[in-house]
Amino acid sequence: MSSIVLQDIRKSYKSGPEVLHGVSMDIEPGEFIVIVGPSGCGKSTLLRLIAGLEHCSSGTISIDGKTANDLPPQDRDIAMIFQNYALYPHMTVRENIAFGLELRGMRKAERNARAESVAETLQLTPYLDRKPGALSGGQRQRVAMGRAMARNASTFLMDEPLSNLDNALRVAMRTEIKELHRQLGATMIYVTHDQTEALSLADRIAVMKDGHLLQFARPETIYDRPQNRFVASFLGMPAMNFAPAGKLPGLEAAGDAMVGLRPEILSVQEQRPNGPAVNARLLFSEMTGSDTILHCDTPAGRMTVTATRRAIPEGKKELWIGYDAKDALFFAADSGARIEPSLQD
Amino acid sequence: MKPDNPLVTGLALVAGLIFLSPALYSIWMSFQAADAFYAGKLKFTLDNYALAIGQYHFARYLLNSIIVSGLVTVIGITLSTMAAYAFARYEFPGGNFLFGAVIATLMIPSHISLIPNYLTLAKVDLLDTYAGLILPAISNGFAAFFLRQYIRGIPRALDEAAYMDGARPWQVLWRVIVPIAKPAILSMGLYVFITEWNNYIWPLVAVGKEDLYTLQIGLARLYRLNPGEGGIDWPLVMAASTITILPVLIGFVLIERHLVRGITMGAVK
Repeated sequence: MSSIVLQDIRKSYKSGPEVLHGVSMDIEPGEFIVIVGPSGCGKSTLLRLIAGLEHCSSGTISIDGKTANDLPPQDRDIAMIFQNYALYPHMTVRENIAFGLELRGMRKAERNARAESVAETLQLTPYLDRKPGALSGGQRQRVAMGRAMARNASTFLMDEPLSNLDNALRVAMRTEIKELHRQLGATMIYVTHDQTEALSLADRIAVMKDGHLLQFARPETIYDRPQNRFVASFLGMPAMNFAPAGKLPGLEAAGDAMVGLRPEILSVQEQRPNGPAVNARLLFSEMTGSDTILHCDTPAGRMTVTATRRAIPEGKKELWIGYDAKDALFFAADSGARIEPSLQD
Repeated sequence: MKPDNPLVTGLALVAGLIFLSPALYSIWMSFQAADAFYAGKLKFTLDNYALAIGQYHFARYLLNSIIVSGLVTVIGITLSTMAAYAFARYEFPGGNFLFGAVIATLMIPSHISLIPNYLTLAKVDLLDTYAGLILPAISNGFAAFFLRQYIRGIPRALDEAAYMDGARPWQVLWRVIVPIAKPAILSMGLYVFITEWNNYIWPLVAVGKEDLYTLQIGLARLYRLNPGEGGIDWPLVMAASTITILPVLIGFVLIERHLVRGITMGAVK
């Protein structure tokens, strides 16, 4: 496992604007880091810089304390899983998995044995002699993982490795990746735009937007104490509700700040509750299984509430949404940065 | 698979026969004894082949053609593949200009470079050698252009995956790109081989020694050497022609199945 330190990484392409604006990160050996952000935020570029597939315009990348800016990818002891898998189409599964070992001069019998052991872990044994063209999407994804695993690299980079899989397979593979991390103990850097993957896999999450690193912290911290409105809204499903403080009873003291209320901390009731509450009209609801997401219209604007399915009687439209002031987050109306207003007065 | 339409199959057969008929006729004629043939009779014989190979040295010409076309193809395609890979994957100063220059060579008729090539080879004393036959043909702008376009269609992620696996650029080319580009490389190889096999002007200019004659020179010479009293000995010329076309036909049949297969299936996503 390697430690990776990024210091003020900037990247601009020839005759183009800067796409990374000074990203710094300190990754401990064996950590599972997830980089999240919307499309075009620079997360994949950052991963490619760490891999050595591209060079940064300025800044320093250190791996295990040594500057790696000019180190070619072959010499970084990093394995990478690509979004589109990038399997060698002319090689069998066995050859795909063993190719990296062959390049390192491992003897045929030894590397085949290793490929077979990796294939067994990933339940690929029946497909060892098939070529990628004869595999399903999930099997190809596992071969891509196997290729990285066989090498015993100290760092794994994964660029949206599950984005091409259907939902059931994605959930299963997510568990396998977590298990893989536990077994190997390698440093893993995982890029995704899926917040569920981020929250469930990461030791620490890096949230990026427009080439800036907005917050780099543990999932709980990111979820409970987001540094700004973007981070708050990006993580959490359904997204956090925002409303002007002045329009929410009990929170007026926050002045012109925006209040953020997660849908799951709101309670929906037929009668006005004792604590602070806002009246709401139910527009429609979405059943998600055990829960229902209620979309309501309130004097403070549209709000979503996650409630249990039997929280409100069928056909009831006029409701009250209750909340606890201590659960509310406050954001500056102009910059979006999270603030800690005094609510004493 | 849809069953073949008998009408289409029939038409294809007829068209195929029309295209093949000159070749079939010449092969048939090559097995006829000349005297009987001109007397309007048919008599099967292998004498024409014995004569072409024994008296007229066609075995030697065949060997020369195989050496020259074979080496031009192997060396030329190797160089073109490397150039194509560099043009497809690397950005380097003057790269576009250089590629433009490669394209520009396609617009120069080969006959224009005939005399400069001759003078250059004369200066380095390579006329009347195999090297003199081979060297001018190995730089092939068209092959470099064609293969570059093909390689550009191979996902770059495969190169990157190989780099991450520990490959050096050289290994990426030979272990990943070349196997995937095999159909294109073989097609281009066949094209280069046939072009060189049929090359007449350059061997005619560059070679005076009979030991180095290629089949095309030998074939043309057969007309001059063998006018005969009653004109050209056509069965002999047809036997020589059959010797000339047969290796190309065999070569085509051998590699044809590799030409059309798309091989990138399943590489990405």
